Amino acid sequence: MGYGKYIAIRLLNALLVLALVTLLVSVLFTKVAEEDIKSSIQEQINLKLRSNPELQKQLAADPEKLQEWYQREYNRLIRVYELDKPFWVRVVERTKDTLTLNFGNTKSPIFGETAVSKIIAKAIPRTVILFTTAQIFVILIGLLLGVKAAQMAGSILDRGVSIIAMVTSSIPMWWFGMMMILIFSFKMGWFPSGGMTSMPPKEGFAYYLDVLYHMVLPVTTIVFVLFGGWAWTTRNIMIGTMQEDFIMAARAKGVPERKVIYGHALRASAPPIVTMTIFSLLGSIGGAIITESVFNWPGMGRLYWTALQQNETRLLMGVTFVTVALYLIAMIIADLAYGYLDPRVKVGASQST
Amino acid sequence: MRWVDVKASLKDFWFEFRRQKGGLFGLALLFLLIFTALAAPYITEPDIPKKWTQYWEGNPVTVPPVWYNYFTTKKLAPHEVLTANDLKITADGQDIGGGMKYYSFEFTYENNYDVPPSDIIIRNIGVKLADINSPAQIVVTVIRPDGNKIELLNTELREGSIYQLAKDGKVKAAVFQWASQFENPETIAEGGETLKNTMDTMKVIFAKAQEGILTNPEALKGTYTFQVEIFTFTEGDQVDLSTTQIILSGRTYGLMGTDYKARDLWAGLVWGTRVSLTVGVTVAVLTVLIGIFYGVTSAYLGGWKDEFMQRVNEFWASIPTLPILILLGAAFKGHVSLWTIVFLMVAFYWTGIAKVARSMALQIKEQTYVEAAIALGAGTGRIIFKHIMPQIMPYAFAAMALNVPGAVLTEASLSFLGLGDPTAVTWGQILYDAQTQSATINGYWWWVIPPGLAITLVAFTFVLIGISLDRVLNPRLKRL
Repeated sequence: MGYGKYIAIRLLNALLVLALVTLLVSVLFTKVAEEDIKSSIQEQINLKLRSNPELQKQLAADPEKLQEWYQREYNRLIRVYELDKPFWVRVVERTKDTLTLNFGNTKSPIFGETAVSKIIAKAIPRTVILFTTAQIFVILIGLLLGVKAAQMAGSILDRGVSIIAMVTSSIPMWWFGMMMILIFSFKMGWFPSGGMTSMPPKEGFAYYLDVLYHMVLPVTTIVFVLFGGWAWTTRNIMIGTMQEDFIMAARAKGVPERKVIYGHALRASAPPIVTMTIFSLLGSIGGAIITESVFNWPGMGRLYWTALQQNETRLLMGVTFVTVALYLIAMIIADLAYGYLDPRVKVGASQST
Repeated sequence: MRWVDVKASLKDFWFEFRRQKGGLFGLALLFLLIFTALAAPYITEPDIPKKWTQYWEGNPVTVPPVWYNYFTTKKLAPHEVLTANDLKITADGQDIGGGMKYYSFEFTYENNYDVPPSDIIIRNIGVKLADINSPAQIVVTVIRPDGNKIELLNTELREGSIYQLAKDGKVKAAVFQWASQFENPETIAEGGETLKNTMDTMKVIFAKAQEGILTNPEALKGTYTFQVEIFTFTEGDQVDLSTTQIILSGRTYGLMGTDYKARDLWAGLVWGTRVSLTVGVTVAVLTVLIGIFYGVTSAYLGGWKDEFMQRVNEFWASIPTLPILILLGAAFKGHVSLWTIVFLMVAFYWTGIAKVARSMALQIKEQTYVEAAIALGAGTGRIIFKHIMPQIMPYAFAAMALNVPGAVLTEASLSFLGLGDPTAVTWGQILYDAQTQSATINGYWWWVIPPGLAITLVAFTFVLIGISLDRVLNPRLKRL
C-alpha cells in the first residue's frame, strides 16, 4: 500500500472520529439546551405578561383566556427556538452546524465577542504563545537531561532524573500553578498572579515585555511539571538504543563517544522522540485545560472554564470540537512523521498483511 | 496452577520486590493511606460527608491551623468552646422581689496571644419565657487584667438568642466609648465615625489602655473575666444554664485550619483519602481487566475479527479524554455521581492496555507449548486462562499500579473544574472552592497546600509501587 493511500485512510479515520464525537456531543447538548430554552421561554412569557398591564387586566378576569393566551405564546416561542422539530432532526442539524464551523453565538460576550468562532480564533494564538514556549523549554531541558542520564546510567544524575520524573508526574499541574502564585505572587510579590497583560494593556514594545513578564510563572509551572517525565522517557529510549549492536560497532570502530551518542544513538532514537514532540506541541494548543484557568490566561483552557461556569453550551461545543480536531491532526502528523523518520517502520505495512 | 506453585511464586516475587527500596517505601505509604481511609470516621467524626456541604456554624472562617503560631512572631488565639462545665455560676435564680429573678455566671479567658479571638459568641442559653412579650435582660461585662471594667452588652434575652459580640453594634458603641478616654482627643476628632466603624472590637477589648488603643491596639496579656448577668421579670420564666455555650472564635483552628464555609479542612483531608483511593484503584483495576480481556481475545481470535477489534480500539483511543469527560460532566451538571466518573474513566482508559496485551498475547500464542496444547486438543478457554493469562498477569499488576496516578489526577481535575460529585468529600473539590474563593491571591496557604500534597502523595505512592513492580516483573527492564 502506498504512502498516499495510507494518508487517505488515516484522514478518513480521523474525519469519522471527529464526526462521531461531534454527533455524541450534539446529542448531549441538544438535551441540555432543550431544558435551558424551556425555562427561558417560561421566563419570557412571564416577563411579557408582567410588563404589559393592559394585557394583565384583560386576562385577569378570564382564567380560560389566560390559559389560552399562555399556550399560544408558548407554542409560538417553541417554534421560534425550533423545539417543535423532532429531537434527532435537531441533533443532526447541530452536528452539521458544528462540522461546518458554524458554532453560533454565546449568551454574553467573552473576550469582547459573542460569535463562538471569533472567540476561539482569539484564544488559540494566546494558548500557542504560552504552551509552545513552555514546550520548547521542556523539550530542550528534557532531551539534554535524558541523554546525559542515559550516558551515565546508574549515576547520581540518572537517579535524580528518575526521582524528579516520578515526583513531578504525580503533581497536578494546576495545583503547582496555585503554589507558584502563592509563593511568587502573593508572598514575594515578584510576578503578577494572572492574566496576560497589565490592566490597561501597555503600548508598543512595552506590551511585549509585559506579556513576557506575565508568562514567567505559567511557563515555569508547565516546564517544572513536564520536564522530568520527558527526561525519563528520553533516557529509557536512549538506553534501549545504546544496547544495540550498531552502537557497539561504532564504538569498536573508534568513533568518538560524543559522536556515538549524538550522531548515532540520538539519531536512531529520533522517531519516538519526534513523535512525542509533535504530540506535545500540537497537544499544547488544547492547552493544559485547567492550568490556564488558574493563571487566568485568556486561552483555550480558560474558555473551557468560563464556558462551564457560565453554562455556555455553544462555546463548550465549539471549544471541544476544535480541541478534538487539533488532537486528531496531531495524531496523523505524528504517525506520518514516524514512518518518514524510521526506515524500519513501513507505514501502512500492518494494513496490507 | 497449584496452591504450592502460587506460594512459591509469591515467595520469589517478594524476594525480588524486597530489594526495591522505592517499592517498599511506596508500600509503606500505601498502608498509611489505606489506614487513614479506613479510620477516617474515628480520626475525625463519622458524619463528615453529610456535614460537608453545609456551613459549619460556630467555627471561624478561613483561619490558619493552630501550629502556624510556631512560625510567626505574632501569636494568634486558637479556637475555644466553653460549655457549662467551664462556667462559674454565681447566682442561680435568686429572687430579687417583684417576681424578678437574678442569674449570673462568669468565665475567664487567659489571653496569652498577640491577636485575640475574632469574636465571642454566647448561645444556647436555655430560656423559657412565660410571656413572649416580656423578654428577659442580659448584661455582659468584662473585667480586664488592669482592673478596667466595661459593660459590653445590656439587651433583651429571648428564646434562642445568640450574641456575637464582635458583630454587635451596641457592643461596638460601648467599647468605643470606653476606649475613647485613653485615646488622644485629636485622633478621635479627626477619625470620627470612620474610626469607630473600622475599629476591631475584639482587638480593643483585649488591648492595653493607652494612647493608640483605637488606631493601633496592642494586646494586653493576662486573665480576663467575663460576667454574664440575666434578669427575668415574669413569674414562671425559666433559665437553664446547663446548655450554654461560649465560643471564643479563634484566629487559628485545628490541625489544618478552616475554609470559607468554616469547615475543618483536616476532616476534609482525611475523608478525601477514601474517594481518592477508591476511584484510583477501581478505575485502574477495571481498566486493566477490560483492556487485557479485549487484547487477548483480539489476539487469540486473529484474522478479520482481530483486525476489526483493532480498528475499534484505535478509533476509541483517538478520542481525547479530558475534553469529553468535561463535556459529559457539564451535561449531567451537578448530578455526576462518583460512580459515573469511574465508569467514564474506565470507558476511555482501557485502549492502551488492550494494545499492549494483544502484542504480548500474539507472542505467547506462537510459543511451542501453546501449539503443543492446541495439538493435544485443549479448548480455547483452557488455552487463554491456563497458558496466556498467567503470562500476562504480572504485566497486569504493574499496569494497574501505574494506572492509578492518572485516575487520581483526572478525578481531582474534574472536581477542580466543579464537575465532581457534590456529595463526596474530595481534595479536588476543596481546591475548586479554594480557586473560586481566590485563596491563592488572598494567601490562604493552608487551604491550597495540603490537598494538593495529598493528591501528589497518592499518585506518587502508586508510581513508586508500579515502577518497582515493572522492574521486578518485566525482566526486560531489569538491567536498566
